[in-house]
Amino acid sequence: MTLWLVFALMTAAAIFVVLWPLGRRAGARPGGSDLAVYRDQLDEIARDRAGGLIGEAEAEAARVEVSRRLLAAADAAAEHAPAPGGTVRRRAAAVMAFIVVPAVGVAFYASFGAPHLPDMPRAARQAPALANQSIDGLVAQVEAHLARKPEDGRGWEVLAPVYLRLGRLEEAVKARQNALRLLGSTPDREASLGEAITAAQNGVVTEQARAAFARALAREPKHDVARYYMGLAAEQEGKREEAARIWRGLVAEAQANSPWALFLRQALARVDPSGAAAMSEPSGPSAEDVAAAALLKPEDRDAMVRGMVERLAERLKNDGSDVDGWVRLVRAHLVLGEREKAQAAAGAARRALEGDAEKVRRLDEAVKGLGLEG
Amino acid sequence: MTRKQRRLVLIGSGLAVLGLAAALVLTALRDTIVFFNSPTDVVEKQIAPGTRIRLGGLVKPGSIARGENLQVRFEVTDGNTALPVAYTGILPDLFREGQGVVAEGVLEPGLFKADTVLAKHDETYMPKEVADALKKQGHWKDDYDKKRQGKTQ
Amino acid sequence: MIAEIGHYALVLALGIALIQSVLPIWGVRTRDDALMAVAGPAALAQALFVAVSFAALTWCYVVSDFSVVNVFENSHSAKPLVYRITGVWGNHEGSMLLWVLILALFGALVGLFGRNLPRTLRANVLAAQSWIAAAFYLFILVTSNPFLRIAEAPLEGRDLNPLLQDIGLAVHPPLLYLGYVGFSISFSFAVAALIDGRIDAAWARWVRPWTLAAWMFLTLGIAMGSYWAYYELGWGGWWFWDPVENASLMPWLAGTALLHSAVVMEKRNALKVWTVLLAILTFSLSLLGTFLVRSGVLTSVHSFATDPTRGVFILMILVLFIGGALALYAWRAPMLKQGGLFAPISREGALVFNNLFLTTACATVFIGTLYPLALESLTAEKISVGAPFFNLTFGPLFAILLLAVPFGPLLAWKRGDLVGVAQRLLAAFAGALVAAAAVVAAQGGGPVLAPFAIGLAVFVMIGALVDLAERTALFRVPLAAAVARARGLPRAAYGTAVAHFSLGLVLLGIVGETQWNTERIVSLKPGATVSLAGYEVAFDGMVPRQGPNYRELAARFTVRRDGVVLGELAPSKRTFTARGTSTSEAALLTRGFSQVYVSLGDPNADGSIAVRLYHKPLVLLIWIGSVVMVLGGALSLSDRRLRVGAPKPARPKAGLQPAE
Repeated sequence: MTLWLVFALMTAAAIFVVLWPLGRRAGARPGGSDLAVYRDQLDEIARDRAGGLIGEAEAEAARVEVSRRLLAAADAAAEHAPAPGGTVRRRAAAVMAFIVVPAVGVAFYASFGAPHLPDMPRAARQAPALANQSIDGLVAQVEAHLARKPEDGRGWEVLAPVYLRLGRLEEAVKARQNALRLLGSTPDREASLGEAITAAQNGVVTEQARAAFARALAREPKHDVARYYMGLAAEQEGKREEAARIWRGLVAEAQANSPWALFLRQALARVDPSGAAAMSEPSGPSAEDVAAAALLKPEDRDAMVRGMVERLAERLKNDGSDVDGWVRLVRAHLVLGEREKAQAAAGAARRALEGDAEKVRRLDEAVKGLGLEG
Repeated sequence: MTRKQRRLVLIGSGLAVLGLAAALVLTALRDTIVFFNSPTDVVEKQIAPGTRIRLGGLVKPGSIARGENLQVRFEVTDGNTALPVAYTGILPDLFREGQGVVAEGVLEPGLFKADTVLAKHDETYMPKEVADALKKQGHWKDDYDKKRQGKTQ
Repeated sequence: MIAEIGHYALVLALGIALIQSVLPIWGVRTRDDALMAVAGPAALAQALFVAVSFAALTWCYVVSDFSVVNVFENSHSAKPLVYRITGVWGNHEGSMLLWVLILALFGALVGLFGRNLPRTLRANVLAAQSWIAAAFYLFILVTSNPFLRIAEAPLEGRDLNPLLQDIGLAVHPPLLYLGYVGFSISFSFAVAALIDGRIDAAWARWVRPWTLAAWMFLTLGIAMGSYWAYYELGWGGWWFWDPVENASLMPWLAGTALLHSAVVMEKRNALKVWTVLLAILTFSLSLLGTFLVRSGVLTSVHSFATDPTRGVFILMILVLFIGGALALYAWRAPMLKQGGLFAPISREGALVFNNLFLTTACATVFIGTLYPLALESLTAEKISVGAPFFNLTFGPLFAILLLAVPFGPLLAWKRGDLVGVAQRLLAAFAGALVAAAAVVAAQGGGPVLAPFAIGLAVFVMIGALVDLAERTALFRVPLAAAVARARGLPRAAYGTAVAHFSLGLVLLGIVGETQWNTERIVSLKPGATVSLAGYEVAFDGMVPRQGPNYRELAARFTVRRDGVVLGELAPSKRTFTARGTSTSEAALLTRGFSQVYVSLGDPNADGSIAVRLYHKPLVLLIWIGSVVMVLGGALSLSDRRLRVGAPKPARPKAGLQPAE
């Protein structure tokens, strides 16, 4: 309410500024002219002459010239008599002020303003309960804390995965480096650093990242994440067999139908299609596999699985005859909790496999086995 | 002098000054301009050794090697081609692996001898030429989505 | 509520500006005083509303109200108060608001102090000023609105960039803006004269102080920016011929030319058409300067494309005002009556010479700055035009101009006597020769350019003194009479002499810095000593320190000369942990006008550290000279004759008053 009152007062003041001069009597307004300048110049010529700076003849010539201008200016000033009968014009001007100022005010403020929002100075805003806060707010709090105490390694460690998830990759790398420097090296920290560097480099495992993974593996040769990335590095260098060897080892240890195993198999399929298929048979999960999958942060795992699913769907769109592929896709959607997509995939599979009764039968069985209504 | 003559003198001297300036500008443009190239350009255009150019790209990660007496070697890459650069002196604060850089110097066979390495006082600064060269080579990190995809590749 | 009031105040300023752009002109057309009289109060009200708006935004920054997008994006609650305030104009939106604030303030000043201007001129000027203002309010509100809000206000702002937390960087944009925007008054005067089809002596007298004031701010702004680059960037350079710097140099050159041509117009009623054109060009270059820098076109053609609305809007403003004013000029300028005659060798002739060279020099800078852009958009070929280009083009032109500087003030109006002037300048010639010879003897085969340049600087400086001596008839009349004359001399005459003298000072500084600069880049271990231009600089060691939000490696150096300790230097290298960025803090030791400059590079594994050491002789004269130049401007500005219609002071000894 106060705000609207202030707005109204401001608008009124703006209109008044225009109306006020319109209402004043003519003749009260001051105004100079160039006459003063020419008189001044005449004085100056006199001074110059007296000071001996110019000769008498020149002074006389200048005097004549300036006097001529002076007369011309005087004539011009006389010509400019105020025009009569401006009442209508002034009223029109006043009406214009009455319309234009509020109209502009409303038009622009209505499109850009936010009158309902109160002031929110930082000091007046006590930090609300953690649970109610947005990610950005939490990040900001941790950042503020770290700006004051940059030596708090734990803070960096908390912040790093959040950065990664927010796509602030370079900052994620820095946070990982800080955590490593302040808290000391552990295999997990080294591997996380390597992972962040790789993410920041568009997925390329650089020398620096590789070094980090190597340090992790030196301390813990079975470190899954580090091993996975070493495989990726090998793939990127064109050493497909080595990549396949590393990943095969990881798949063998992984819990069969866990997203981690699916993801690994997908990676393996890139470098060794036949080997991947051979390993797609389920094998019993081990405690170690569960731990390995858990090592991956949930958001990374999610991203990895999603990437895998997309690629699989893409392949099936081009070649729909692979019934096992379809089953994997449906299962993956279910794992991700996307029941509708799973159903859609099953439908698409049926359409793609039409005409091959044997394959449709296998598909239906598998889909039923997954608990999805045919 | 008549009014006409005076005007001629004025116009004449004006033209003389403009002519002088034009001559200066043309000579300077011929002699002092340095062309900007990415490492790929250097290979593709077959720029002759001894030419003075500006080389722009990213500092290849892991390529920085420091020697005696402030000698530094590093490689500048645009994603496709990398060119080794030799420089003696202090590198700017913002010179870092994987970051954009512009070096000016003389091209020698297989090596770029830089006498200036440029950096700006803005930490998000990517020299315009470098950005363009990288875009041309298709290695511009545009947004988060692409990074995300890159991660799962 | 505060943010919203600021927002609404800006909207109202637009409304008033729209009215102010129409009513006064209408009044002039219909000779209606009441309509013309709207201009003054409206200009004041505009300034008031924009001031409210600016204050509101500043308040939001001070209390860190992150519900304002602009504050959220460009501030941080951990910033020190002073940087939160300067952060207001550290970004595009805020700086545009500062721009219009200054614009409105200048308009209000014309409204306040323009009472003795001819009424029609005042109305036209304020209307033209208001067109510019309206265009910018629109630009800000539509494309760069600093008052947009977020309902879910973030808890913390985004920016903590350590490099921007520098007082030099914070102060220099407002100074530059005062300069840029100040030229808008000359522009409005030019447009008003063209609309009126009439231009008179009052016009020139009125334009000159505004131009002078703007020019002073611009000079200070440029000097300050240069000093900032010198101490902050860590390698001792003070001018880079960078497009951003050139953008501020071009209006300065054009503005300097305008100052001089306005003198001719005021005194001799000549060069009217040219002066009007210069006024238009100067402000056009200011607009170009602001926007080329602000729109990012200079750093990347692509950033223009990423924000098309803003880019197109800027382009439209440039086309509208520059193109519009030039079209108006082409149409109306022939109607302006030509003024007095003069011989080529005369004060007028000298000022034309000055204008010719200044504008040509400005044109070479323009070409050097925009040619790469043009070439790239035409041929996709990328080039860099750097210092060598400007040294080759700008350098010679300015050298010739400087050579002519001492002659100008000594020549008489209308018809001068070049030989006579040369005779009077004999002392200056002699001084220059002696200085050059001394340099040759002292440096013995050093840089070839140095003796010439030093000679030129001395010539310009003595020339300025000769001018004063001539005016006071020193050595020709008894001392007491000379003193009396000196007292009676108009301040403008002193202003001219001081400003011209300062040119010599700046040139001395430039020559010293560029020709005799000693540079050592070495890798040092604690305990080592480097000799540098006769100084011994000992590296005592390094101490790591913890700052409020950074870690710092501070080195200690002791500077000695002939065994005597002159002082200690403590340059440092800071690493800001939160962002992993590092900055170098240079350390300076001043000896007279010269400085020893030390900055740190990277530490090496073996405990040594890379160090840059410079000895920069006379370098301080560059900035001292600039400040003296501004003082000259201030002296000239304080001359009461510049205030049209001001009552003349009583002058009992009027007989002794020589003209300027």
